[in-house]
Amino acid sequence: MFFKLSLKNVRKSFKNYALYFLTLTFGVCIFYIFNSIEAQKAMMHISESTAQMMMTLTELMGTISVFVSIILGFLIVYANNFLIRRRKREIGIYMILGMEKGKVAKILAAETFIIGILSLGAGLAAGVFLSQGLSVVTAKIFDVDMIGYKFIFSQEAFLKTIVYFGIIFLIVMAMSIISVSKYKLIDLVNADKQNEKPKIKNTWCSVILFILSIACIGTAYKLVLKNGIKMFDKRLLFEIILGSIGTFLFFASLSGFFLKVIQSNKKLYLKGLNMFILRQINSRINSAHISMSLICLMLFFTIGILSTGLGMTDVMNKSYKESTPYDVSFEKEGEGSIYEKFKEYGLDIYKYTDEYVEFSMYQHEDKNLTKGQILKNFNDKKLEWISDESPLYLIKVSDYNKLMKLQGKDGIDLSQNQVAVFSDYTEAVPELRAALMEFIKMKHPINISKKDYEVYPKLLTDAVVTGPVSNIVVAIVVPDDVTYKSSVFNTMISFNCNRSSNSFDAQDKLEKELISLDKKYNDKKDLMMIEGATKNVVKSMLAGTNAIIAFVGIYLGLIFLITSAAILALQQLSEAADNRSRYNILKKVGSDDKLINRALFKQIAIYFMMPLALACVHSVVGIKVANDIVKTMGHINAIGNIIITAVLILVVYGSYFTATYFSSKRIILK
Amino acid sequence: MKEVLKVSNIEKYYGNKSNLTKAIDNVSFSVNEGEFVGIMGASGSGKTTLLNCISTIDTVTSGHIYIRDMDITEMKSRDLARFRREELGFVFQDFNLLDTLTGFENIILTLTISGVNHKEAEKRVLDVANKLDIADILSKYPYEMSGGQRQRVAAARAIISNPAMILADEPTGALDSKSARMLLESFENLNNKLKATILMVTHDAFTASYCSRILFIKDGRIFNELIKGESSRKEFFNKIIDVVTLLGGDATNVF
Repeated sequence: MFFKLSLKNVRKSFKNYALYFLTLTFGVCIFYIFNSIEAQKAMMHISESTAQMMMTLTELMGTISVFVSIILGFLIVYANNFLIRRRKREIGIYMILGMEKGKVAKILAAETFIIGILSLGAGLAAGVFLSQGLSVVTAKIFDVDMIGYKFIFSQEAFLKTIVYFGIIFLIVMAMSIISVSKYKLIDLVNADKQNEKPKIKNTWCSVILFILSIACIGTAYKLVLKNGIKMFDKRLLFEIILGSIGTFLFFASLSGFFLKVIQSNKKLYLKGLNMFILRQINSRINSAHISMSLICLMLFFTIGILSTGLGMTDVMNKSYKESTPYDVSFEKEGEGSIYEKFKEYGLDIYKYTDEYVEFSMYQHEDKNLTKGQILKNFNDKKLEWISDESPLYLIKVSDYNKLMKLQGKDGIDLSQNQVAVFSDYTEAVPELRAALMEFIKMKHPINISKKDYEVYPKLLTDAVVTGPVSNIVVAIVVPDDVTYKSSVFNTMISFNCNRSSNSFDAQDKLEKELISLDKKYNDKKDLMMIEGATKNVVKSMLAGTNAIIAFVGIYLGLIFLITSAAILALQQLSEAADNRSRYNILKKVGSDDKLINRALFKQIAIYFMMPLALACVHSVVGIKVANDIVKTMGHINAIGNIIITAVLILVVYGSYFTATYFSSKRIILK
Repeated sequence: MKEVLKVSNIEKYYGNKSNLTKAIDNVSFSVNEGEFVGIMGASGSGKTTLLNCISTIDTVTSGHIYIRDMDITEMKSRDLARFRREELGFVFQDFNLLDTLTGFENIILTLTISGVNHKEAEKRVLDVANKLDIADILSKYPYEMSGGQRQRVAAARAIISNPAMILADEPTGALDSKSARMLLESFENLNNKLKATILMVTHDAFTASYCSRILFIKDGRIFNELIKGESSRKEFFNKIIDVVTLLGGDATNVF
């Protein structure tokens, strides 16, 4: 009987709940998808190291999911309180008819249960469906091949979603039971008549607070722009707190300040329904400014994490192509053949390849041969991290030509008094490229042991070693006999796995062999000194880091975005009932429907735009600071990512806004 | 005397064929400029429906209503909003003031919607406020005012646009007797000094005794008409009580 009543209530109020229900469904769906990433590897051809990265990603997603479920939990509890408040009168009628509080609570609990089951079901269905499509994206981000279509279902993620949301709904049920037990019948019956007494604040007070908030935010901007965010320290914490306080004060005083400003312009204030709209916003912002500030900060976070997070993947993808000229490279410090060392331990490189290049980088005895010889004339701040005192290493031109030949590229001809500038860092740091090009143009000689060498007119930028991050920065390629008086700084060996037709699998095999070698001889120091990387490893490490940043960014970004949009929408909808009588009065005093629609639109638009606008301003500063950091690792295409972020926000936020406008219109003008 | 309102043979039906309720059943009357007309009747007699039809909030089933010779039953909804704004003023039982606006803003709202120049509008608000004795509460919000003050603010809002007619629906319904008397005196004042035409719906004989003419409605039809003429308000009140008793209307007057 009571269950039937609940069912009927849910069905009747479905239109009012639609937004709430969709948000829940969306939340469940996102939750499932991001927890099911590991299961997607069934569709892909992945290497050992990629599998490792996926596992790390899954673990990280698990941790973040706890955080996400707390956020969603708050949203659901908040939304539920709103919905119950709107139904006070209905609850009052049940109680007048003689229903006990316990039974009312039971009805509400049953409703929560029904909505919970429905949204959980719909969300999981959507999640399972969408995760099929997402695997294409995952494959692309991890840069792996798809084996072919396979239906993917992650039982783990499925159960996890049910458990997490089950707990949330249980909490919500408990909360609604508690809130029912606190209600007094007289308040419930008079719920419609009770008008929240508008707290009228002194508008001058608002003006002062507003100025204070601008000062806070401005100072925080200035400090963070000056100090950057190199480390999470007390200074950064102070900046964050200052910015948050500024944001809070901003929303607490904005509408009052605005009202004061516009009131002083009577012509604007006393025009059409302007006065009404402003007062309308002012009357609510008093109670809404806390949520408004939180929403603003969440949106800021969303914009920041999306645009810089996606930006990082760009950097990574670029450096991947630069840093993997060969299938495999090994490196060790000092002299000695790596080939021989491996052979000593039973690993024959010729098993994998029929051609390898082993070469060394040299450090000349001339202490004046430093990077400063090339870079000291360039005072670009972005190049400060390259020490002018660090030695300039040498590469033999014969080695260089062999390395190029292995890549299928042409070598260079150096005459006896020529040296060539080499850098594999120019893609990542365009400022370095500009400086080196400039240096070559200057035709300034390089001095080695008191002898001047002419600079080869072309800058060499092709990478000569496979490694996660290209690390030679600046070196010079010299005629072979220049290295005569030099010590060996390090030795490297590179080759392509051309013995087998499938290099991908061969690399995997080599990796496994190395791991077993490592285990067998883990007491032998000289073997341990050799470090290496295969293309697969570099790729999976870069792609994996990419994927982690991108997935975390999108996951948190989406959750924050729907949470903020949903809170705004629910606030507006719950107010719509109160606003109904106000708009009715407007109608009676002779406003036509067009004027009223426009007023309603403006009111909701201002509500939605306020937090977004401030968040955008915050983000401009935030992204600028973040880009300065990312730039030390490489150049990023900020504009492109900002556009993607903007489109995403426009779509999600925009649809919530549209839905809110039309639902409010339906409630108010029916 | 010019005719402001002419109601001719209007009917308003609710329900369907099998269960038809005639809320207004063939009612005709007219109101001249400067008249203070009351409409009396018991609950459910159709007086509020009649007022809603005249105020263009509701539509009639058949018949015509002319205000200043314009047929409002034929108007489109866009024109109706403008018409309501310019030709009619409303005073409701529950004040219908916007709680977010001050008294001043509530009154001036009608003018800003019509696009009146703000200087002119402000002048008119102060003018009306002086006449209704509410100049000193203009900066207050409705919840800071007494019921009588709120209703006078509402009355000021009703007359600010110089309407053809003021329509009042139980204006004293939510007021105590002292506030009610003050409000009615202001109505009388508006009627005498400003020659405002007022049409007031009430079921209270005391309130009705301030009118110059009263139409009694029973079951959707006009049942009787009383004209104050030269008689004093006390005599008029007694006449009203007689008719109400005859109507068998208010329960208080049955015994």
